[in-house]
Amino acid sequence: MALLKVQDLGMRFGGLMANWGVSFEIASGEMVGLIGPNGAGKSTLFNCIAGLYNPTHGRIHFLDQDVTGRKPYEMARMGLARTFQVYVASGDLTVLENVMVGCFLKTRSRRLAKERAGELLSSMRLSHLSDRNMANLPVAAQKRVVMATALATEPKLLLLDEVAAGLNSTEIDEMIGLIRWVNTEMGISVILIEHVMELVMNLSQRVLVLDSGTLIAEGEPEEIVRKPEVIKAYLGERYLNEHSDASSKGEPVA
Amino acid sequence: MEALRQAFDFSDFPRTDLCVAVAVAVFLFVFPALPHSSFAMATMIQFLMFSVYGMGWNTIGGYGGQVDLGKAQYVGIGAYTTAVMQIRWDLPFWVSLPIGMSLAVGWSFIIGYPLFRLRGHYFAIATIATSLILKDVFESWSFIGGARGLKIPLRAEMPDFWFLQFREDYYYYYVILAFFFVGLIYLNWFRQSRIGMQLRCIKDNEEMARSLGIDSHWAKIKAYAVATAFVAAVGSFHACYNFNIEPEDVMSLDLSVLIALMAMLGGAGSLWGPIIGAAILVPMKNYLGAWFGAKAGLIGLDLIIYSTIIMAIAAFEPRGIWGIVTRIRQSRSD
Repeated sequence: MALLKVQDLGMRFGGLMANWGVSFEIASGEMVGLIGPNGAGKSTLFNCIAGLYNPTHGRIHFLDQDVTGRKPYEMARMGLARTFQVYVASGDLTVLENVMVGCFLKTRSRRLAKERAGELLSSMRLSHLSDRNMANLPVAAQKRVVMATALATEPKLLLLDEVAAGLNSTEIDEMIGLIRWVNTEMGISVILIEHVMELVMNLSQRVLVLDSGTLIAEGEPEEIVRKPEVIKAYLGERYLNEHSDASSKGEPVA
Repeated sequence: MEALRQAFDFSDFPRTDLCVAVAVAVFLFVFPALPHSSFAMATMIQFLMFSVYGMGWNTIGGYGGQVDLGKAQYVGIGAYTTAVMQIRWDLPFWVSLPIGMSLAVGWSFIIGYPLFRLRGHYFAIATIATSLILKDVFESWSFIGGARGLKIPLRAEMPDFWFLQFREDYYYYYVILAFFFVGLIYLNWFRQSRIGMQLRCIKDNEEMARSLGIDSHWAKIKAYAVATAFVAAVGSFHACYNFNIEPEDVMSLDLSVLIALMAMLGGAGSLWGPIIGAAILVPMKNYLGAWFGAKAGLIGLDLIIYSTIIMAIAAFEPRGIWGIVTRIRQSRSD
C-alpha cells in the first residue's frame, strides 16, 4: 500500500512553475532521497505535501485519503511531520519544552507530555540539553532537537529538509545513524532533501531527482548517480571521476 | 486535579524569585494596616487593577506574541455591563461580573476571528480600530448614557458586599487583591499548560507550530478570549469602585496603550512582568502626573515619559525589565 501518492503535482507562483507534472509514490517504511540543484523545487514540493502551499495542479493522497489543500496542522494530525531548512527561534522555549509541544499533539496531559519528551530526548542522547534555550544551541544539536520535536508528534511519514547542512563529517555520521534508527527502529517512512550526497547514498533505498520543477530521474542510488541526465543537471562530471567506485559509500560532492 | 497542582506549582522558579514573591504577598496583605495616605491607597488599588489587566494582556500579548492595543474595549464592556445591570435592573456586582465577562469573551470571538488573520503591526492597528469603533458606539448609545456615561447610585446601607459599595477603600483593596491572586495562580497554570506552550511555540516560529499540528489561528483566539475575561472582570470592578463611568474614561486609547505598556515594560511573556511593570508605572503616573500638573504646570510631560519608555524597550530589551534580569542571570551562570 502506498503511504503517500503524489499525482501530476504542479505549483505555480505567478509566472513561475516551481513544480509541474511531479508524480511518485512512497511505500510504508520506505526511505527516499530527493535531490536536485538549488531552485529545482524540492522545498516547494515538501511545502505542498505538508499543506503549507495549496498546489495549483494535481492531487496528493496520504493514507488513502485525498489530502490536497489540507492545512499544515491537519496534515500533522494525520501523521505527517517535517523539519524546516532554516529554523529561526526567538528562544522562548527550552529544548524539553519544545519537544513537549510536539508531544501535545497526542496528549493533553502535561505530565505525560513531559515523560514522553524526556524519553525521546534520552533515546536521542540529547538529555543533557533539556534546559538549554533553543536559540543558542550549536547547529548540530539544534537539528537533532528539531528532529526530536517532529518525532514527538508520532508521525508515519517524516519529511527532512537538509538536516545535514552545516554539519561536519563526524556529525554527518551521527545524523546518518539517527535517521536510520528513525526508519528501522521507529518504523517511520522518511523523505529527505539533501545536498550531502554521502547521506543520500547511504540512507536512501530510492532516489528522486528534481530539476527545474519536474522529476527527471528515479531509481536506486547506484543507478541514479550513473544517469547522464542526473550528472548533467546536478552531480557534475567531477562527481563520477572522483567516485569511480560510486556503488560503495559516496563522499560529499565538495 | 492535575491542573490544580500545576497552578500552584512554582517549582521551576529560582528560590530568590519565590522569596521576593512571598515578601511582596505579605506586604500586599498587611498594607491597609500600615499608615498610609488615601492617595497611596488609591494608587495601590490602581496598581492591583493594572497588574490584572497586564496579566490578561500577557496571555495573548506576552506568551502569544500578538501585540494587542485594544484592551480598553473589554474594560468598557465589563464596566458598562455592571453599571447598566445595577442601574436598570438592580442586579448586584457578583451577578453582573460573570455576565460582563461572558459578553466580553463573546465579543472577543467575533472580532478575534477576522483579526487573527492579520499579523504583526496590522494586527496591532486593527485592535486599536475595533476598540475605538466600540467606544464611538458606546458614546452615541443613549440607553447606556452616551458620552456622558453612567453614574451608579449609592446604596442606603454600606458596606454592601453584593453591590461592592464601601465607604472605606480597604474593602475595595481586598476585593481586587483577591482578583490579583486568582489571576496570578491562573496565569501560572496557563504558562505551563498545553495551550500556553503551544502559544509560546507560535511566537517562536509559527510555521513550525503549524507543522506540529497546532491550529495557530484558533489557539490565538482562545488565548485572546482568556485575556479578555481578565480585563472585563477588572472593568466590572472599576465601575463599582469609581461609581462614575464614561467612554472617555474606560475605553480610551490611552488606557489600551497603558495596559500594553506596563506588561511590556515589566516583561512580556513572563509571569512577574506585568506586576513589575504596574508597580513602576502606576505610582509614576499618579505621583508624577499630580506633581507635573499641580506644581510644575507641565501637564502632559508624563505622556512624553511613557513614549520614551516605549522607545527604550523597543530599542534595547524587547523582553522588558524581566528580560534584563534573565540576561544578567544567564551571564552569571555561564
